[in-house]
Amino acid sequence: MQSTQKNIKNNDLLLEVNNLNVFFNTTDGLIKAVNNINLSINKGECLGVVGESGSGKTQTFFSITGLLSNNGYCKGSAIFKGFDLISSSKKERMKYLGKSIGFIFQDPMTSLTPHMKIGDQLSEISIFHDNLTKKESLKRALEVLDIVKLPKSRNLITSYPHELSGGMKQRIMIAISLMCSPELIIADEPTTALDVTTQSEILNIFNDLKNQLGISIILISHNIGVIAETSDNIIVMKDGSIVENGSTYNVLTNPQDKYTKLLLSCIPPWLDV
Amino acid sequence: MIKFITKRLLIAIPTLLIIIAFGFIMMRVAPGGPFTNERALPPEIERNIQEAYNLNKPLYEQFFIYIKNLSVGDFGPSFKYKDFTVNELIISGLPVSATLGLSSIIISLFLGSFLGIIAAVKRNTYFDYSVMSVSLVGICVPSFVMAPILSLFFGLYLGILPTSGWNGGSILNLILPITALSLPQIAVISRMMRASTIEVLNSNFIRTARSKGLKSSYIIRKHVIRASILPIIEYLAPASAGLMTGSIIVEQIFGLPGIGRYFVVGALQRDYTLVSGVMILYASLLIILILITDILRAYLDPRVKI
Amino acid sequence: MRLLKKTDNLEMSYSLKGRSLWVDARRRLFQNKAAVISLFILIFISIISVFGPFFIQYGFSDTDWSSIYQPPSLENGHYLGTDGNGRDLLVRILHGGRLSLSIGVIATFVSVFIGVIYGTIAGFFGGKLDTFMMRVVEILYAMPYLIFVIILMVVFGRNIYFLFIAIGAVEWLTMARIVRGQTISLKEKEFIETSRALGQSNTLIIIKHIIPNLAGPIIVYITLMVPSVIILESFLSFLGLGVQEPLTSWGVLISEGSREMETAWWLLIFPGSFMVITLASLNFIGDGLRDAIDPKEY
Ligand SMILES: Nc1ncnc2c1ncn2[C@@H]1O[C@H](COP(=O)(O)OP(=O)(O)O)[C@@H](O)[C@H]1O
Ligand SMILES: [Mg+2]
Repeated sequence: MQSTQKNIKNNDLLLEVNNLNVFFNTTDGLIKAVNNINLSINKGECLGVVGESGSGKTQTFFSITGLLSNNGYCKGSAIFKGFDLISSSKKERMKYLGKSIGFIFQDPMTSLTPHMKIGDQLSEISIFHDNLTKKESLKRALEVLDIVKLPKSRNLITSYPHELSGGMKQRIMIAISLMCSPELIIADEPTTALDVTTQSEILNIFNDLKNQLGISIILISHNIGVIAETSDNIIVMKDGSIVENGSTYNVLTNPQDKYTKLLLSCIPPWLDV
Repeated sequence: MIKFITKRLLIAIPTLLIIIAFGFIMMRVAPGGPFTNERALPPEIERNIQEAYNLNKPLYEQFFIYIKNLSVGDFGPSFKYKDFTVNELIISGLPVSATLGLSSIIISLFLGSFLGIIAAVKRNTYFDYSVMSVSLVGICVPSFVMAPILSLFFGLYLGILPTSGWNGGSILNLILPITALSLPQIAVISRMMRASTIEVLNSNFIRTARSKGLKSSYIIRKHVIRASILPIIEYLAPASAGLMTGSIIVEQIFGLPGIGRYFVVGALQRDYTLVSGVMILYASLLIILILITDILRAYLDPRVKI
Repeated sequence: MRLLKKTDNLEMSYSLKGRSLWVDARRRLFQNKAAVISLFILIFISIISVFGPFFIQYGFSDTDWSSIYQPPSLENGHYLGTDGNGRDLLVRILHGGRLSLSIGVIATFVSVFIGVIYGTIAGFFGGKLDTFMMRVVEILYAMPYLIFVIILMVVFGRNIYFLFIAIGAVEWLTMARIVRGQTISLKEKEFIETSRALGQSNTLIIIKHIIPNLAGPIIVYITLMVPSVIILESFLSFLGLGVQEPLTSWGVLISEGSREMETAWWLLIFPGSFMVITLASLNFIGDGLRDAIDPKEY
């Protein structure tokens, strides 16, 4: 398993995280939320991250993208295409954030700015990163809305977030991350807040992004069933550490860790893997 | 929009009526008021008064006449300043009070919000701490302590600013009164704005904006301010009410001939017509401000339907 | 019988949880240095206001024409100086403190009483009644309430008891709003539903379950309301509409002091300082309590 990963690494490695630790200053002292994590993802691959809630999945990827809250800090390295996201200055990191790396959050209901039109929230990102004019970037917005299969996109441009359903908002979030044609999308529990039908529609979109556009995806979930179908590799986290790491097939058919077995016992039997 | 304003005005009318009724009843029941028979007056004077105020008519009719007069902007004669109507007194005080009030509300809103935003963005830095300490002073030192201290220090001790008088509204005469009046409001507004900006900065949608790699200054302008200014908009009417009462003190201390000064003199001399006239004027102003607040809120927050 | 037992447990577990919450809150409050220091200052000012005058050789209305406008001095026993009637300023400030503090406390309780009852009724019964009651609050909010108080004082004379009531009667609005909001969120809680299922009357539910659980926000609000009432009283006294001679309050003293500050600065500065220090302490305690009861990490 180790050796196969090494092989691919040399071909087209996209992101490599080494010895990542995340700490929080709290009133009860210093908390270590993420403990010495190593992971890597290649171009066009999907990496699934599972673990119970509170296991440090979110904070791992917040730390890589500089989104930790004020009382948190991290140590380690996260090399994205040869560039260390963690040791770099905020200004340099901003060139990658939103441009090459898109982030999709767990709660679509509160993740869009309530007082801005959808069109503006989409277009601002390529106006900023790609120097498009407002008109060009709205045209781009219509294209990405098509990719995320939002019907009647033209009306959407002028509507406000509160006029949309949860599923639509999450598609908008995906559309935002697609605006600048990213190479990596980090999706943190993108379907947890949604109902089952919407859930599978959203997962289908991720499948398309990977298979048709060749975008690498990090798919985070507390539910191993959600990520099993899309992921090529899986890491399992518990209490801030990785307890299992391998190809989806290996992890699902031959889990080594007790905790992984427990997670697997929760998958509905009809899921075909 | 027009429907919304009409609806709001329809709510405002009963409010005003209640205030007017309060003023009206007060004049009738007040001990030593114009219409109680504490003093034995010669019968012909008694009759004159009765006629002038329509006291020989039934109570509800008196009320209607009072409202009818008010609706054309006639507050009636002053009860104590024999040769003046309430209108004349109010109009003579208006330029002073309006100058003070308007400049103070504008200064408080802009300076308060500005300081609050910066303090929130730079929270837990020395800038934040100093803004918050100064604003604590503004909150803990009431205007009737601040105003005399200001005039003691800048007027008597340093001798650089005049301590009293209107002087035709010269800037120098305005500095101390406006400072004393605005300081408590700047303090409250900057704290409010700081708290609400911090809340917005911690919200999920700002995290989204940051994940887009946008510039901080852009995020604050486009994503933060419009959401964090909402509590300040709500505070517009209470702030104005605070300024109105504050100006009563400040006009007194700095010897400015404004409406607040007349109000105090009226209150001390039991000039009921003058006092209720000022009350109705201030209440109407506040009702208009609440209407403006509602419109602004709907403009800033698309979730509010108007 | 069995049902009753079940609720007993429920109540017990709730109050147990409640107790540990209060223990936590107290720990957090005592960790807050500013709040602790302020608490000591406030207690100190209250104690010297109540007991101090007994230990001072001068009475608060003793005039002494041979020593008018004496600046503060240690030698003649007028530690904070005297006023234009030769009265000792320190003893007057302490007497004024008695009055200002007790008006602050009593008027606050009047307003909390009205606000809590009004707010729980509106929040608990909801529906049309709630809409109506809150509309009334909204309308009253729009009024220049201080001007109301002034007019009330003018109409009904400058009676000190009336001052308590007048201030309390206009300050209850915010309390009513807070209590209503809390009541609505409490109403949906499990333990209230259980009581309801057990057929407890509304009054009983309000008194036994709702009001005790409002303690947190009410305490915080009281500490923030007392200073605003003290300011209000001083404001009225400053205008000559509040406390009357021979009684005195900080507002009266500040008012006299500001008229005479050109000849005797201490008449303004000392009463002002007492008041400002008290207000600042109350503010710190209020902030500390709020952070302790409802901790938010910024
Ligand atoms: N701002 C913070 N301050 C202190 N602890 C935090 C903070 N944010 C997250 N944590 C802690 O970090 C741990 C990991 O959280 P997270 O990564 O969000 O878990 P999840 O796997 O559910 O995404 C949790 O135990 C959480 O309590
Ligand atoms: Mg998470």
